[in-house]
Amino acid sequence: MKKFLLTCLFFAGLFWALSTYQGLAVQGKYDSMVLNFRNDLSSEQVDRELKAIASKYGIEPKFNSSFSKSSRLYIVKGDAQVLDKLKQSEELRSLTEYVEANYVYSMDFIGGGTTPNDPMYKEQWNLKAIEVEKAWQKTKGKGITVAVIDTGVSKVDDLKNTNFVKGYDFVNDREDASDDNGHGTHVAGTIAQSTNNNFGVAGVAYEASIMPLKVLSASGGGTISDIAEAIIFAADNGANVINMSLGGGGESKLMQEAIDYAYKKGVVIVAAAGNSNRNAAFYPARYPKVIAVSATGSTGEKAPYSNYGAGIDVAAPGGAIARGKNGEKGDTSGGILQNTIDPRTKQSVFSSFQGTSMAAPHVSGVVALIEASGVKDPEKVLQVLKQSSRKVTDDTLNYYGAGHLNAAAAVNIASQGQLGIPDFLRWARDNGYLSPRFWIDGGAVALIPKLIMVIGSYLLAWLLNRWFPFRWNWSFNNGVFFGGAGLFFLRGFYLFDITQLPFRIAGSSLPELGNAFSNTNALNPITASVLLPLGLLLILLGHPQWKWFAIGSAIGTSACLATSAVLAPQMMWIGDGTPAIAFLSVNSLLCFGFAYLSIKSETSSI
Amino acid sequence: MNIQIVGTVEYIDIGTGTWAIATDTDEQYEIWQPAPEAILQEGLKVKVSAKVRDDVFTMAAIGEVIEVEDFQRL
Repeated sequence: MKKFLLTCLFFAGLFWALSTYQGLAVQGKYDSMVLNFRNDLSSEQVDRELKAIASKYGIEPKFNSSFSKSSRLYIVKGDAQVLDKLKQSEELRSLTEYVEANYVYSMDFIGGGTTPNDPMYKEQWNLKAIEVEKAWQKTKGKGITVAVIDTGVSKVDDLKNTNFVKGYDFVNDREDASDDNGHGTHVAGTIAQSTNNNFGVAGVAYEASIMPLKVLSASGGGTISDIAEAIIFAADNGANVINMSLGGGGESKLMQEAIDYAYKKGVVIVAAAGNSNRNAAFYPARYPKVIAVSATGSTGEKAPYSNYGAGIDVAAPGGAIARGKNGEKGDTSGGILQNTIDPRTKQSVFSSFQGTSMAAPHVSGVVALIEASGVKDPEKVLQVLKQSSRKVTDDTLNYYGAGHLNAAAAVNIASQGQLGIPDFLRWARDNGYLSPRFWIDGGAVALIPKLIMVIGSYLLAWLLNRWFPFRWNWSFNNGVFFGGAGLFFLRGFYLFDITQLPFRIAGSSLPELGNAFSNTNALNPITASVLLPLGLLLILLGHPQWKWFAIGSAIGTSACLATSAVLAPQMMWIGDGTPAIAFLSVNSLLCFGFAYLSIKSETSSI
Repeated sequence: MNIQIVGTVEYIDIGTGTWAIATDTDEQYEIWQPAPEAILQEGLKVKVSAKVRDDVFTMAAIGEVIEVEDFQRL
């Protein structure tokens, strides 16, 4: 019975696979037909037939190449209807060996990939960086509308095949929301540039629709009231995603209310973090319900201008253009290339720009792909974005938020519904613990190693206490705590606009003090060694109370270094290999040794 | 709010580009347009009295936006 069932299942599967397999022919595109005339025909007969085809169908057969003459292989170009008639012609069938569609074999069909035929696509390092080709195998954003709140969008040549829905120009109060600056058209291009159209460049979600909303004037600035109105317009007119590549202003209740309104209606709002290399996302990216995007260059490093730290949710390519010697633009290949307008002539041009303005539309495009894959709730979309981003392990200053944007992984997670457990940040956001004043980076601290350090240091202290019973006092407790783990939760705490350094120092244990000043988790060999506890012991051993702090710190440091040696042997200058493990282990033992000797001498002298 | 600042005029290549004043204390103010033509010169040292515009946003998003009311070349 079991065998029978398995056999049925096998055939059912086979039948399903065969019935859903579309084959190469069904998917192929063709704009020409191959005619292979019979070899026994005279060349006069062939000529006569070719002339007949030319006059009857208005198309002229040509040799495929100079090699085709002997094999009598001809190509006729024309639209599908004409080619279909040609194929059905009885006369032609009798004179030819075969008539068949001349399929265009592009990478699309041969490798199962989706490399578009846009000639300048190869210059778009940014699209490769987010792995958008793999995402296109599943979706291109069809059915999703992205509102571009910007300087307007002009229908330049490479936006001709892109879908547009009705927008509005809030600056001049009219329906036509054309661009007079060049910024908004560029941003719209990154989201949905006409792609696979044999022209120009590609866009992230090129089957999504653009809703152009002009709020910034020709000089690139606009008022809060216009922007707030545009957000409400987008929410009321069916936008699924809002892209705001703008910032710099202050906090505004009007804007906050507009954002809350759109969010409640299920609109995902994405904004640029800002371009002043400061520790804070600007408004409107700073609002907890807005996805704040920092910018990276072509190597994946944070772009020099990009804001970072407090409020950043995710990083995406924003480009980095070096300045030439005379202050002019230098090599622009590191920028983001799209089709836009020249603001002076209003003509269509291809330009490379840089900015978090360019990074945000990458995220908006990927959000469109996520939504087209079935996940539409703003909270869940953000979760997919974060879960799918490529993590940056050594990101202590939160340059990259959840990590580098990854379209392929995002679409995979969204289409399979593999959402993990909501992260701490989402919980904090939902419960109102995040605000435009302070922010918590949930990923800043690796919690498990910290807990091991705390438990480990108290275990060591307990062990020593068993050998040499001493009075467990407050100073000793503090020493163990600050030597081992410190107020580690402070490392992820941010106040907007203020350097995070004080919190990093306050959140460091003794061995971590040396790397509190740099954007790395790699321990500094000067502080992550026996030196600090030994120094404290030498200075404080004469003091009746503080000596216990010094002893405690030696025990804590010993546990911290030992845990690091096992779990994360990462050191400045030394690296993360065997030398680092050896260094940490030896210093851990030395710390324990000094603590042992100190306690031994202290308890014996009592 | 009105402020007085001393700094250098800079062209900032972000997005389609914008004009800013960078102070000696490393602060950056974006110049709201339209601004007096004469101030828009790369490297110009100026003393500016301006109005802080916290009711506006810009595509350059480089920081606080100021509307220049008066300026002196230094």
